[in-house]
Amino acid sequence: MHLLHLLVHPVTRRRLAVAVCTSTVLVATLALGHAASQKFYRDDPIVREPETQDASGAQPRDIDLFYELTYNLFVVPRRPPTNTRAGNLNTIDEVPDSSWFTNRVGARALTLEELTRGPVAGPPPASATWTITREKSAGAAPGFTAQDANGETFFVSFDAPVNPDGATGALVIATKIFWALGYNQVEYFLTDFRPDAVVIDPKATKRRPSGERTPLEQDDVRETLERAHRRADGSYRAAAGRMLPGKVLGGFEYQGTRPDDPNDVVPHQHRRELRALRVFGAWTNLTDMKGGNTLDTVISEGGRSVVRHYLQDVGSTFGVGANGPHEWNEGWEHVYDGAATKRRLLTFGFGFSPWQTADYEDHPAVGRFEGDAFDPETWKPRSPTAAYVEMRDDDAFWAARRVMAFSDEMIRAIVKTGQFSDPKAERYLGDVLIKRRDKIGRAYLPKINPIVDPNLDASGVLTFGNAAVQAGFAPAPASYQATWFTFDNTTGEATRIAATESATERMPAPAQLRPTPGAFVKVELSATSAAHPAWAQPVHAYFRRQADGWTLVGFERLRDKQ
Amino acid sequence: MEERGKQRNLLTLALSVAVLIAAPGAWAQSPPGAEETRAGTIAASQAEKAKTLHPHEPNTAEIWVKKLEEQFLSGAMHWHPYFQSAYAGGGFTLGAGYATHVSPYNTVDLRGSYTFSGYKRIEAEFLAPRLFDRRGKLSVIGGWREATEVGFYGFGTGNTSQDDRANYSFQQPYVSATLDVWPTRKWLFLSAGVEYSQWDQNPGEGADPSVEEVYTPQTLPGLDAKITYLHTQGTAAIDWRTSPGYSRTGGYYGATFHDYSDSDDVYGFRQVDYEVIQHVPLFRDAWVLSLRGRIETTYTDDGQTIPFFMLPALGGGSSLRGFTSWRFRDRHSLLLQAEWRVLVNSFMDTAIFYDAGKVTASRSDLDLEDLKSDYGIGFRLHGPAATPLRIELAKSNEGLVIVFSAHASF
Repeated sequence: MHLLHLLVHPVTRRRLAVAVCTSTVLVATLALGHAASQKFYRDDPIVREPETQDASGAQPRDIDLFYELTYNLFVVPRRPPTNTRAGNLNTIDEVPDSSWFTNRVGARALTLEELTRGPVAGPPPASATWTITREKSAGAAPGFTAQDANGETFFVSFDAPVNPDGATGALVIATKIFWALGYNQVEYFLTDFRPDAVVIDPKATKRRPSGERTPLEQDDVRETLERAHRRADGSYRAAAGRMLPGKVLGGFEYQGTRPDDPNDVVPHQHRRELRALRVFGAWTNLTDMKGGNTLDTVISEGGRSVVRHYLQDVGSTFGVGANGPHEWNEGWEHVYDGAATKRRLLTFGFGFSPWQTADYEDHPAVGRFEGDAFDPETWKPRSPTAAYVEMRDDDAFWAARRVMAFSDEMIRAIVKTGQFSDPKAERYLGDVLIKRRDKIGRAYLPKINPIVDPNLDASGVLTFGNAAVQAGFAPAPASYQATWFTFDNTTGEATRIAATESATERMPAPAQLRPTPGAFVKVELSATSAAHPAWAQPVHAYFRRQADGWTLVGFERLRDKQ
Repeated sequence: MEERGKQRNLLTLALSVAVLIAAPGAWAQSPPGAEETRAGTIAASQAEKAKTLHPHEPNTAEIWVKKLEEQFLSGAMHWHPYFQSAYAGGGFTLGAGYATHVSPYNTVDLRGSYTFSGYKRIEAEFLAPRLFDRRGKLSVIGGWREATEVGFYGFGTGNTSQDDRANYSFQQPYVSATLDVWPTRKWLFLSAGVEYSQWDQNPGEGADPSVEEVYTPQTLPGLDAKITYLHTQGTAAIDWRTSPGYSRTGGYYGATFHDYSDSDDVYGFRQVDYEVIQHVPLFRDAWVLSLRGRIETTYTDDGQTIPFFMLPALGGGSSLRGFTSWRFRDRHSLLLQAEWRVLVNSFMDTAIFYDAGKVTASRSDLDLEDLKSDYGIGFRLHGPAATPLRIELAKSNEGLVIVFSAHASF
């Protein structure tokens, strides 16, 4: 029996079969009716994905760790990517704000104060006393669920004994990076945890190997702390994450949609911000992308219950995990990697992998994280996700621009919030993030047509940018070409007007362009570059004539299946 | 039923429409005259989905994985497989056990196994893994076992042949208690144990002659003997491996002292085992050079002798792997092993190995001369702390041996 066959519920299989048939008919109908479709609506491009339905009925669900790992290692990589354009884009190829994502870095100017505050909205924990209310329910890191002196609940985790400052620093720094990138994050703080200031809640219990829950005891606390780095004064440096508001539903999957959330209509593998984690993960070495490190909660917003989606635990970043340094091959290979397995098996280990010769500076707080041997296009998390597999070059381009939006100063300011006791470690982490950032930009920005930010002013002058050239990762092309069309928004018909050419990122529109209010113009923009032949593939920009000038309403870097 | 089927298909159709509307790029291609805004088209697809909400339905594989996890990882596990043979050389083993917790951490396990050559074991173990503030582990075992065709090839290394094989059998009821202690939780390892057992040696089964057909009680001490031993032992070691079951770094350096006291003062003896293991990671654990040396040496009390079946032995899947189990026996033994282990992936290692060793009648002969040796290739499936499957092909001057084991080699 085919494995995929086994993995799909029989009822679901029947429904899928019917869905495929009806979808085929509908696709054909839509294709035939394409000439009569409206491409742009009056509210395009939208800046926020609406959530119109009540999601209060969404139910908690645990994603099974072992099942997910097996599926992601052995099923997901066998499926060829669909080469489908991301499904949650607005008409100008951008990701609108949503319950998943908020445009921040690269979309607006962020102050250093904003950046270093990150997701933090409330006060830090009052660490004079900690009352442990239960064991840590998820993850391998040593930690507790505890209330601070003010009675507020936090998830407290520690550093591995051989990596002081490592795991806690990674959590605090990475939450700020991923917040700036646009993801919903937990508020994390660095704090003190002194065993003599710990109280065990009389109602606190721990699940024992027998399966029964018995009261949490002092020895349980000692046992947890034995796995953590203890300072000379007997205290522990901890990362405390504030409990998220709302009803906790458990993690989200990187494919499909929640069947109990009416607002979740775009399959997760086709959400650009989830595909882009392949790039953001490579930058920060976020190797543990399992669903268990994400969290959905139901919150009340505008009088309606909606599901908010978090990257809850981004602590597997850089080169240290909760229990010690990353495995040597982490970031280079999946936990099971067929090609590497075969190579090492057949060559008896003489078929070397890059991680065997990569040079890591010795900083216990940073661990196995480097930028010289790093290759963003071959970077791998522990296990792939469907969204990881589905990432296209336009998704990677979008993500790379976000990464490149972090200046050196911004990176160093965020790293500083990790409060490493060794300034050399802080400097090294900043250096590596900068180096990896540039490698990402160099890999993805010139890979496809990098024309960005097209603008057609009222006088009919077209300007645009070239992201690869602006970043210094490619020489300016010999010339830019523009093919101009009138565009009928009702029928989708484009009628060629003229072609223009320029050696710069500025060119006048052809005289035939008529500024009739409500009219649309389509411009196909390409570049001639001997070094980058892919730039000859045009991007498509659409402008609508308003009373005061032209407004960009559409932009396509790569079309579906392109 | 038919009506329900129609409803399901209608539901599916609606879902398909919703999916298509939500499909990538479809936001830009809604039918004419539908909603007048982009937000409206999205709202429509959400409204459509709202009609068909349902909780997550796990698929068949997910259900089974969950069941297996609940069975084996949740603490609710009772029945479990058991592959420990009654005695080395028993061949392919099948067995099962029933374990249950008698307290949050302590367990009682009743288990038994049977091999294709008729070796049998049944025993019960009480295990208390968290004594003395998690510094100690106590195991109490009571059981009975029978081995039907254990090989005996004579004494010494160089003067025996495969063709000299004679078989014996034994039955053994036993009760034992072992206390392991890590006083500092790391590195220093101490162990003490006591076992009360009766070895009832009998004629062997199988194609080879039985020992009493080849030897007499005068030429083979312990032939036909029924010996009751009080066996006490103590171990002191430095152990900085990550786990005895699987380690890519660290070492073990220890000595174990045994006293076998015969209630009839005929077969009493003492034995000291010295063992050194060192794992040397190379190229970031991609390769590991693993080395092991072990000496077993025995001492007898005046007027007493060591029965042939209790002598130190070499041969089999954990010593000289290219030779059959119990191939070499004598008063003392020396074993040297080297493995070149290659990390294939996070769950799999392969290795080439070389074993050498000898058994001697005199302690002074424990040198590097006239060693028996073998070499081979191995394949292991492992977790972070255990090696549940080890398959090896070993070659010696006596032929090829395939080893199946549920333990690390060392």
